[in-house]
Amino acid sequence: MESKVLKPILAVYVGLFILFLYGPFIVLGILSFQQGPEGGPQFPIIEWSTYWYKHLFGLTPPSRIAPLPVGEALVRSLTLAFMTMVTATVLGVMAAQAFRKRFRGAGIVFYLIVLGMMVPGVLTGLGTSLLANNVVGVERHWWSTAFLAHVVYTFPFAFLVMLAILNRFDGSVEEASWSLGVSPMTTFRKVTFPLIFPGVLSAMLFAFTLSFDEFPRTLFASGRDQTLPLAIYGTFSVEIHPNIFAFGVMTTLFSFALLAVYGILMGLSVRRAKKMAMQEDIA
Amino acid sequence: MTQRDPIFRLEGVTRRYGNLTALDGIDFVAEDNAYIALLGPSGSGKTSLLRVIAGFETPDAGRIWFQGRDITDLPAHERGIGFVFQNFALFPHLTVFENVAFGLRHGAQALPKDEIAERVKSSIEMVGLAGLEDRSPEQISGGQKQRVALARSLVMQPKLVLLDEPLGALDANLRERMQVELRAIRERLDVTFLHVTGSETEALAMGDKVAVLDAGRIVQYDTPDTIYDGPVVSDVAKFLNRFNLFEGILENGIFTGPFGAVPVTNPRQNKSDTYAIRYDRTQIFDAGDANLPGPALPARFLASEYLGSSIIFLFETEDQKTVEVDHHLSLGEPRPLTVGENYTLSWNPEHAIVFGKETAR
Amino acid sequence: MTATSRNRQKKTTFRLLAPGVVWMILFLIAPIMMIVYVSFWTQTTFAINSTLTLDSWKNFFASEAYVGALWTTIRLWLIVLTLTFVIGYPAALYVGLMVKSKTISTVLLVLCVIPFWTSFLIRVLAWRPMLGKEGAINIILQKLGLIQTPIEVLLFSELSVIIGMTQIYVVFMVGPIAFMLGRIDHNIIEAARDLGAGFGRIFWKIIFPLSLPGVVVGAIFVSVMVLGEFATSGALSGRKVNLLGNIIVTQVGSLKWAMASVVGVILTILLGIVVAGFLRIVDLKREI
Repeated sequence: MESKVLKPILAVYVGLFILFLYGPFIVLGILSFQQGPEGGPQFPIIEWSTYWYKHLFGLTPPSRIAPLPVGEALVRSLTLAFMTMVTATVLGVMAAQAFRKRFRGAGIVFYLIVLGMMVPGVLTGLGTSLLANNVVGVERHWWSTAFLAHVVYTFPFAFLVMLAILNRFDGSVEEASWSLGVSPMTTFRKVTFPLIFPGVLSAMLFAFTLSFDEFPRTLFASGRDQTLPLAIYGTFSVEIHPNIFAFGVMTTLFSFALLAVYGILMGLSVRRAKKMAMQEDIA
Repeated sequence: MTQRDPIFRLEGVTRRYGNLTALDGIDFVAEDNAYIALLGPSGSGKTSLLRVIAGFETPDAGRIWFQGRDITDLPAHERGIGFVFQNFALFPHLTVFENVAFGLRHGAQALPKDEIAERVKSSIEMVGLAGLEDRSPEQISGGQKQRVALARSLVMQPKLVLLDEPLGALDANLRERMQVELRAIRERLDVTFLHVTGSETEALAMGDKVAVLDAGRIVQYDTPDTIYDGPVVSDVAKFLNRFNLFEGILENGIFTGPFGAVPVTNPRQNKSDTYAIRYDRTQIFDAGDANLPGPALPARFLASEYLGSSIIFLFETEDQKTVEVDHHLSLGEPRPLTVGENYTLSWNPEHAIVFGKETAR
Repeated sequence: MTATSRNRQKKTTFRLLAPGVVWMILFLIAPIMMIVYVSFWTQTTFAINSTLTLDSWKNFFASEAYVGALWTTIRLWLIVLTLTFVIGYPAALYVGLMVKSKTISTVLLVLCVIPFWTSFLIRVLAWRPMLGKEGAINIILQKLGLIQTPIEVLLFSELSVIIGMTQIYVVFMVGPIAFMLGRIDHNIIEAARDLGAGFGRIFWKIIFPLSLPGVVVGAIFVSVMVLGEFATSGALSGRKVNLLGNIIVTQVGSLKWAMASVVGVILTILLGIVVAGFLRIVDLKREI
């Protein structure tokens, strides 16, 4: 009986909760259409305009507000995220594959890998830069030390995703392949991999987005050249303008585009299966 | 039957999972070019045995010989032993043709394209799937999947194919048809089938020889009729589902059971004292009939079950044990029985098989 | 005798694991060890050498600012942890238990996760126009006539850091709790209701204990992230709130590696205690 009262109350509460999650972003989105270049990063909206979007792409006449240094940073971030994605996914698939067989020390190895996502970025970042700077004596770069730290962070995610996928994987198709005289290596390439590909795609998505957005590790472990999150962080200390809001909207759209690509790739493999089933119905 | 060379041999093969022993020192010699049924109840280790022979699992002890070669340490893909799975294990992302061609394409030796095509084609025709080459596994029926699995394995021309409950996932009709076909296909090729099953009818119907596995040991290996007529231990008799079994006491050549004390000859060594008489050797008499062929077992008639070629009569003894009598209709009409009435069951004592802790003498 | 095949399998496992394990040892374990080691190095104005000393440790505990940062970190962590739990639990209760339809509950969870596809820093920054003196909240409150003058303490204060962190991390609390609640067998609740138990009793005797592993996992997530924070406090406090993370950043910025390492070690110990403490409450291996 109490739940009859409780349920609607909680439903309203969840509505407010979601507003709490989205509120700031809605405000940010509105303010990105502030008039420019005089309009500031606050209400009221002087006049609706797309000035700050144009400003972002360098399409406005020069003003006292410098354009965000995002062009090169974006390329770096994409490259870094791609490198990280490939490496983390390969390591994750390999480790998860090993975990299909029981072996001694499995518990320790599991925790060693998972530790990578549990240790705060500020610590891995500090440690990595200490190691590079004071022991090995190499210069830090986004493509070297930061890349190493990014893989430490994303490899556990890829590993866990693949572990979940492989847990549900029926190994008898692999055994069938071996019994046909096909080596384990070829079996993996021709049977296992095509069948776990949707999982690999998820692992890749995880690794890419986490690396693309990674900030604390990059702050310590990369050198002079900034990645995108570092470029955004750089604007924190100075006066902010609505261009950063416009930029926020753009990156969100980019993330959704990425998500859409993932969705399409996933959908294609599912649809292919469905299509075949449909042909059968017609036949 | 002509004497055949062994195709594979097991020497003391043992497999443990933790403290559970699935295979307990199995010694076994299998003839070449034969249909061997491996019969065992669930948990008897029959699938483990198959997987060990295939190389999917490693025995904890013992050796496996195949075509005169020790293959114990050989990985599965180097053994050249075919395997047909209960769930078929077809490659879901490949067509029927590609499934069958898989081993030829990706195996150790590279074959020319047209030879692959030819062998795949004839293999698919042999199992009667011509025309379905371009279907994907999800577009074909269970029976067809089974045939693809078989063709996929046979196209590699193995000398030994292991079949793990291959008919278990099929419905009854299809199962009977596949039984006949499996035997026919095997006879056409020079290959040994080792067919694991939990069904005694399937094993007795299909195998040239039947091996009975119990608690990780092969307890009997013989032709189906020998096993049917003379199970070596009471567990085999029980598992065959063709015998009325009575617990009792065997002492000095006298078996004392629910039918009284009867003298027995040549009891078989067993872990318990058990008296076995086949369903179709048990006869029905009126209660109090003095003209019996052997021991008298009073029992109440419960019900009958018509099976087409025979009728099964169910009785209940005084100690609440169900006893079955199988009356084959070729022997003429059965006598009419009244449900709930008491009758006397009897049999020719020569047909009984007695198992005992004490052996003859 | 069958050692050959066992060895073969061992070799395969080894080859599959070696790259990942080596990577983690070299680039995760070694760096953390490095922090401990460097915390005992000798720091001069612009350089550092490996002569071992306790100076940096003494400096840390002698400095009011540094020790203050430790307490601020602990205080903020406790507040944010409590808030994420208090705010997140009812939402998880609705998503995981109250909603009967699987689709709606999935849609709600996805709605919670979507903001994560916006850059973390942008999400932090988005609070500025929200909380500022001329921000959305002040404007709305003034329009409603609830306040006459804008509340200034909303932004660039400890409060804004707390609000920001709570919003960003609350989802990590909701997810695991909703997951555990979703696994509860509704028949148990029905049975308890049939026996005349009121909702309060059912909640405290059945629902809450069953969701506890989710609370612990959520709490570990939130704790690890909040304790290692520095960006939110940097962006929303106007440098008024200094957490251990902020100290590390500024020390590294001025090349004070030894002091940064001391703070790093203290942060590691703090994390270790917190996580170990949570794992004491619930044996996760048994529950999941």
